[in-house]
Amino acid sequence: MTMRILARLFQVFGTNKTSWVGLALFVAICAMALLAPWIAGTDPLEQDIIAKLRPPSAEHWFGTDEFGRDVYARLVWGARISLSVSISAITLALVVGGTIGLVSGYVGGRFDMLVMQVMDILLSFPALILGLIIVALLGPSQANLIVAIALTALAPFARIARAPTLIVKERQFVEAGRALGFGHGRILFVHVLPNIVSEVLVMASLWMATAVRVEASLSFIGLGVRPPTPTWGGMIRDGFENILDAPWLCIYPGLAILALIFSLNMLGDGLRDATDPKLRGE
Amino acid sequence: MIWYVAKRLLAAMPTLVAVLTVVFVIVRIIPGDPALTVLGDQATPQALAALREKLGIDKPLLAQYFDFITAALTGDLGRSLVSGRPVIQEVVAVLPHTLDLTISSLVLGTALGVPLGVWAALRRNRLADYVIRIVSLVGLSFPVFVSGIFLLMVFSLHYRLFPVIGTSNLADLGDRTWKLVLPTITLGLVMVAYITRVTRSAMLQVLSEDYVRTARAKGVPARLVIRRHALRNALIPVVTVVGLYLGINIGNSVLTEIVFNRPGLGKVIVTALNQRDYAMLQGLMVIYCFLIVVTNLLTDLAYGLIDPRVKQA
Amino acid sequence: MSGAVDDTPVLRVEDLSVEFRVRGAWWPAVRGLSFDVARNETLALVGESGCGKSITALSVMGLVPRPQGRVGSGRILFEGRDVAAMREAELERLRGDRMAMIFQEPMTSLNPVLSVGFQVSEALRVHRAIDAAAADAEALRLLEEVKIPSARRRFADYPHQFSGGMRQRVMIAMAIALKPALLLADEPTTALDVTIQAQVLGLLADLKSAQGMSMLFITHNLGVVAAIADRVAVMYAGEIVEIAPVARIFSGPVHPYTEALFRAIPRIDREEQSLDAIGGQVPPIDRMPPGCRFAPRCPARRPSCEASSQALVEVAPGHSVRCGVRAPAGARAA
Repeated sequence: MTMRILARLFQVFGTNKTSWVGLALFVAICAMALLAPWIAGTDPLEQDIIAKLRPPSAEHWFGTDEFGRDVYARLVWGARISLSVSISAITLALVVGGTIGLVSGYVGGRFDMLVMQVMDILLSFPALILGLIIVALLGPSQANLIVAIALTALAPFARIARAPTLIVKERQFVEAGRALGFGHGRILFVHVLPNIVSEVLVMASLWMATAVRVEASLSFIGLGVRPPTPTWGGMIRDGFENILDAPWLCIYPGLAILALIFSLNMLGDGLRDATDPKLRGE
Repeated sequence: MIWYVAKRLLAAMPTLVAVLTVVFVIVRIIPGDPALTVLGDQATPQALAALREKLGIDKPLLAQYFDFITAALTGDLGRSLVSGRPVIQEVVAVLPHTLDLTISSLVLGTALGVPLGVWAALRRNRLADYVIRIVSLVGLSFPVFVSGIFLLMVFSLHYRLFPVIGTSNLADLGDRTWKLVLPTITLGLVMVAYITRVTRSAMLQVLSEDYVRTARAKGVPARLVIRRHALRNALIPVVTVVGLYLGINIGNSVLTEIVFNRPGLGKVIVTALNQRDYAMLQGLMVIYCFLIVVTNLLTDLAYGLIDPRVKQA
Repeated sequence: MSGAVDDTPVLRVEDLSVEFRVRGAWWPAVRGLSFDVARNETLALVGESGCGKSITALSVMGLVPRPQGRVGSGRILFEGRDVAAMREAELERLRGDRMAMIFQEPMTSLNPVLSVGFQVSEALRVHRAIDAAAADAEALRLLEEVKIPSARRRFADYPHQFSGGMRQRVMIAMAIALKPALLLADEPTTALDVTIQAQVLGLLADLKSAQGMSMLFITHNLGVVAAIADRVAVMYAGEIVEIAPVARIFSGPVHPYTEALFRAIPRIDREEQSLDAIGGQVPPIDRMPPGCRFAPRCPARRPSCEASSQALVEVAPGHSVRCGVRAPAGARAA
């Protein structure tokens, strides 16, 4: 089973250059986050009032902020927040949304219609506004941020999980499987999952791009993970006040956010081209 | 057409109620006490109870729900906890700014995105196509506050071409337009990227349709085949995306308004957040629900204009 | 028809090869194709799906899908001018005017967002300097000619409001709008039910005799062939394997493939003649056998068939066959 999924993944990746480049960039950013304690050089929280708002130099590659903290170190550590929030949120959305889709598709009927209508409404709400409202009500914390972003991304995963469930429900091999004593769960796991794995991957990477964007945006508005923890959106928020004297405070975190979102979009876009023969080269 | 519009308007009412219901449920199933969030940990039990009563959240859930829906449908969105003024007044005062921005970026996105998408489709897998695809993917990857700040740095701070302060005089059309330029580009860029991509893939799809071949077999010149036969059909999915994106645009305008210090709905939301004006937030949520339903309605009407099959159904 | 008939063919295809790109290399989907269509004649192109019939018609129209396909070599002389060598602008002037085409799928071949009346009048507007009112009047007359009921009322309707048979009539009205010298009909009745099929065929036959039009009629339905064709060309794997007048091919098919095709009693209501008797499939274009392309499926196969390709040999006046067994080169029958 696992082998089948892996083989499918490899086959999908193998054919598309865009997805490889996206994956490489994404992995590089992940590595940066993981290796933060070793590559950041200095403590991202260490203040140095004398060396504040210094432009980029050999000592401080990306300069220093208004408290004299090293922008490079904060950038490297900030990757952890962006990645952990978005990865957790998308995992949560995938598990919860996927379960909703599976159950809804399996139960069918009016229940299914109702659930999917609710999902449609969720989908038509701009992720940023929804996230904003939820975090505003819950109060900003990393956990609340994750829940809010996951909620905005529920609908697409519910949709993905539901479609093949409907098909499989009707198919013969489900009947055959039941005759052999397999439970529904096993049937779905063995027969449905390998068929939708690439689609899930496409959605996961594209929605993770959205998650990163929403997290950064909320941090920029001031609803992100609390300072002094470095977040990319928060760094830009702070830097924006000194935009005249210290543009580097906005430029580097801005480019970092762009790079992460771009890598995920490339990954998702490339994967979609590779998996959907109708869309090839589109 | 009038009949169609009327039918759509009627159909939008249940949608509005459904959207409001979903929002109500989301707000209420979230654990936590709004009164506590507003007043903080140090608040006295008496103060908390008073606020709960004021917000109406001390009543049973079902009663709260009916109050919420009735109030929303009758246009009574409550009063701000801070200023005491009706929410609707505060919103109406800034709405022109937000509409200016949303509509102008929509126009920019369509005016640039559709031709670029068509061009890319016609040059499929050639240099122009690759460049357009990569650039639009980059455009799509910019959070608007980052692109906004970058534009601000280059055009307002470095070249001093555009003003930094965005509050404009609504009565002065020149000033209003002038201050709209950079924010429009900021929001418009993402829109251009989206519309380019959708137009491209829709055009590729449509160009391989049988009826395009039929048109060519009639001897219709290539230029007309593209414009009259292909593009009109390709616009159907484009309208879907524009409609969907209009919602995202309303969300993104929050960020743009902060970066360019423009008044607008986004500014109102952020102020309400900072002041913990819970009543204001709830009113704004209803406004957003309303905007989303209106957006969907406009999308439906646009379908009716483009696709003759829709009116029948 | 008087005795002084102009005998230059409307269409002369000479040694045509049409190629498609498969995994980076060009392969002929049609090769060494030569045939004529005379004035006021209907030539039927017959064969299984994928034998190159439609591609032949598309190449005559200059509509071979690009960039994956191209005309590799050969000439397509339409009224004496080589279509294959023409620029797009010249082709646009010919298409819809001197030559026109009807496609197989009436359901998808009309533009869903343009009114039927406009789509019929469009060819007139494009090719003739007439005003919109005159074009509409003529389009209405055409819709009446192809027997669309209450054409005036339905003029502004859209394709989705028409049935498949009605749409095919609209397609025909579009194609004959400018009285073309040559009409290419690519399985125009396949998607229709039997009674509608007969009506459409009758309509085409009427138009042909009324306008002195030539037709290249593509079908895999032999009942249709019997009803409409003057001559028949049987294609297999991109080549003509037998070409003869319609009566001759029904009474005495020579090529084993033709034989197999005609074994079943031709009936107009059959979707496709069954080739179960032969078994196997048309080989894909990048894996053609070196000798006779039909050899792997042929009941009359001899070892020599697979060695070298076969030539088209005339076995009787106007009757040629590509088979080394049944029609060996040099052994011309009377």
